[in-house]
Amino acid sequence: MQNSYLMLGAALFAIGSFGLLIRRNPLVMFMCIELMLNAVNITFVAFSKQLDDVAGQAVVFFVLVIAAAEVVVGLGIIVAIMRRRPNVNADDLSLMKG
Amino acid sequence: MGQYLPILALGILATLFALISLIASRLLNPGRPNDAKNAPYECGIVDQVAPPERFPVRFYLVAMIFIVFDIEIIFLYPFTAVYRELGSFGLVSVIEFAVAVFASFLYVVANGALDWGPLKQVRRSGMMVTPSRTSTSTIRRVGQEGREVHVGDEGVAA
Amino acid sequence: MILQVLAQIPTDGVTAPLVEESTSRLVTPRIPWSYLTPQLILFLGAVIGVALVALLPKRLPKYLSALATVVLAAGTLVSIVPLWGRVGNAREGAISAWSGAIGVDRFGLFVTALICLAVLVTALFADSYLRREGLDGPEFYLLLMTAAFGASIMAISNDLIVLFVGVEILSISSYVLTAMHARRVTSQEAGLKYLVLGGFASAVLLYGLALIYGATGSTNLLQIQVFLSERVLTSDGLLLGGLGLMMAGFGFKVGAAPFHMWTPDVYQGAPTPVSGFMASAVKTAAFAGMIRVFVVGFGSAAELWRPIVFVMAVLSLLVGSIVSVVQSNVKRMLAYSSIAHAGFILLGVHSATERGTSAALFYLASYTAMALGSFGIVALAARRGEHLQKLSDLRGFATAHPGLALAFALLLFAQSGVPLTGGFIAKLGVIGAAVDQGDWALAVVAMITAVISTFMYLRIIVSMFFVGGGDHGEEPAGFEGPPVNVSWTSMVGLGIVVVATLFLGILPGTVKHWSNQAVVEMVRDSGR
Repeated sequence: MQNSYLMLGAALFAIGSFGLLIRRNPLVMFMCIELMLNAVNITFVAFSKQLDDVAGQAVVFFVLVIAAAEVVVGLGIIVAIMRRRPNVNADDLSLMKG
Repeated sequence: MGQYLPILALGILATLFALISLIASRLLNPGRPNDAKNAPYECGIVDQVAPPERFPVRFYLVAMIFIVFDIEIIFLYPFTAVYRELGSFGLVSVIEFAVAVFASFLYVVANGALDWGPLKQVRRSGMMVTPSRTSTSTIRRVGQEGREVHVGDEGVAA
Repeated sequence: MILQVLAQIPTDGVTAPLVEESTSRLVTPRIPWSYLTPQLILFLGAVIGVALVALLPKRLPKYLSALATVVLAAGTLVSIVPLWGRVGNAREGAISAWSGAIGVDRFGLFVTALICLAVLVTALFADSYLRREGLDGPEFYLLLMTAAFGASIMAISNDLIVLFVGVEILSISSYVLTAMHARRVTSQEAGLKYLVLGGFASAVLLYGLALIYGATGSTNLLQIQVFLSERVLTSDGLLLGGLGLMMAGFGFKVGAAPFHMWTPDVYQGAPTPVSGFMASAVKTAAFAGMIRVFVVGFGSAAELWRPIVFVMAVLSLLVGSIVSVVQSNVKRMLAYSSIAHAGFILLGVHSATERGTSAALFYLASYTAMALGSFGIVALAARRGEHLQKLSDLRGFATAHPGLALAFALLLFAQSGVPLTGGFIAKLGVIGAAVDQGDWALAVVAMITAVISTFMYLRIIVSMFFVGGGDHGEEPAGFEGPPVNVSWTSMVGLGIVVVATLFLGILPGTVKHWSNQAVVEMVRDSGR
């Protein structure tokens, strides 16, 4: 039973990472990162239940906070870019090459 | 019956809070009524200009301020669940944490994140929310005699 | 619904409290605050700084924030000195606090000192850079402080979760620092790239951490160490997967191939003093975390992770040196060379011995000086609006500014590993540690790539010193554009790194002694 939660976490993590690699909208890419972090949360809680150890559940709070902080910074940078160039997507961000 | 008293007290408090909020808003608002404000409908018919397609950046900024408090509540909620057991250690830790969060909020406020002045709205208000344009005046305009012409005229006038 | 709620309320009268009075106090950790002085100075500096920026009037003198940062970083350095003695002597020794989540030992103090030096020199360079680019404000320095705080937390973390929080404090601050240049699109583009890829790497690191928690039953490094020493590992899929994912995450943070894709773009796009800070402090902190977790925490499982480090080291050395030769942008060249340097430091990590750790620390110390100086000079030579892009923009720099060109040449020679500079002793140390463990192949690859990257450093130096006909046969051109203004703060910063580079090369004894003493010690939480 516990293993199915771990599988769910792994599947969500995989979906998130694939989404990050194939989507081109920065906002959607952020959602994918969020999905990956929450998949890790599920994994932590599943392990916490399996090991009967509360530390794994405490980790989730920290991950939530970090995810929120990352999104704030991401939104800030996207807003700064959008002010110059509306409808930006990840393929347009290619000023630097080499 | 005595055990229901807390619920009764909660109900009274909730009613009082609602009443006080209503009365306070009645007393404290600036109170400059005009026809458009008093009209029963605030949306739908009056607005003949296409709404802006992109949200002002300000909305994102407000969302970011929200996250400051979102982060705070993530830690405060578990703390309240066990604050007796944690004793003074927990209290001191949470106060330290709250001070750190509050400092960032201070910074945000000092940089004008809460100054939601009508900067952008002023430009449009002439078209959309003038006291002369009420639901009664615009409903009459949307009649049989051809709406497109009027819309075009409005656009030129604006 | 309501009935259910009502049924839960106790029936013995109103006076009975709804929540049962609990008398069982949890055992709360006692915190040895005096051992955490360096971290406290950085943290309180950032928090009080934010509050002061909000409350004080905006028209304060412009140098104030840079001055405050320099003073705080120097204060942190000074506070490390007595701790170094306390942690080292036999009576007190290294300590573990917060229920074993944090361990203060000489390793952590050494890394914290390096980070403070990086902050100090970055603030000195940034002062004139930010004013020149019209970006001056306290925000840059506050973010620098939070980044340094996160980095120093990584250096003393004894728990994977504390380590992760430190990584994120550092990373999120550096995302913003990268995107700081409001008027250059490349800066924001670099910030977004760094953020998306960095977020991805953080998620991978965290997933690896979760798997390790599942495999060992704890996130505490000491408990993991005990767990691993008590059993013979045959094939534990969870542990292997966790190690691999964590190594990928750390590989990204240190900028090692094949996880290096972000490095050139971010170093090129970021404001130049920030590039220097990332090459020095961020790399140092990431390597400190890596050494703490893998060399010490997973020391007894070294055979599981050493092959991964081997591949990463070889790839970093090859990619960093070969690709840097064909670059034309100066900042990109330095970025690729930082990948090669990460490969050298991985040599020390790969040996998984105390000698390797101290060699890696010495390398980090000398690279901190060299990277800060190189990027600092690029920042100065670029002038307002970042004129310095192509290698050919440097032509005639030596005739126009002989002092700066000499210093730059010295730092580049040091990076390539010329004797009498810190780079030589550092390279000798890590290669020696690799040979010690019988890794001849690694040592040979390292020496060959050192020669290849020397060619790249020589290209930069040649373009500075030789004016005559350009690469493409055009007219000989001097150093064009507005004059370079070298403020006295930049001079002080440059002086520090140049003296440090020479000192580490000519008299390496002191720092080598310190880096030998800086071993990770994991002790049980004594509640002291």
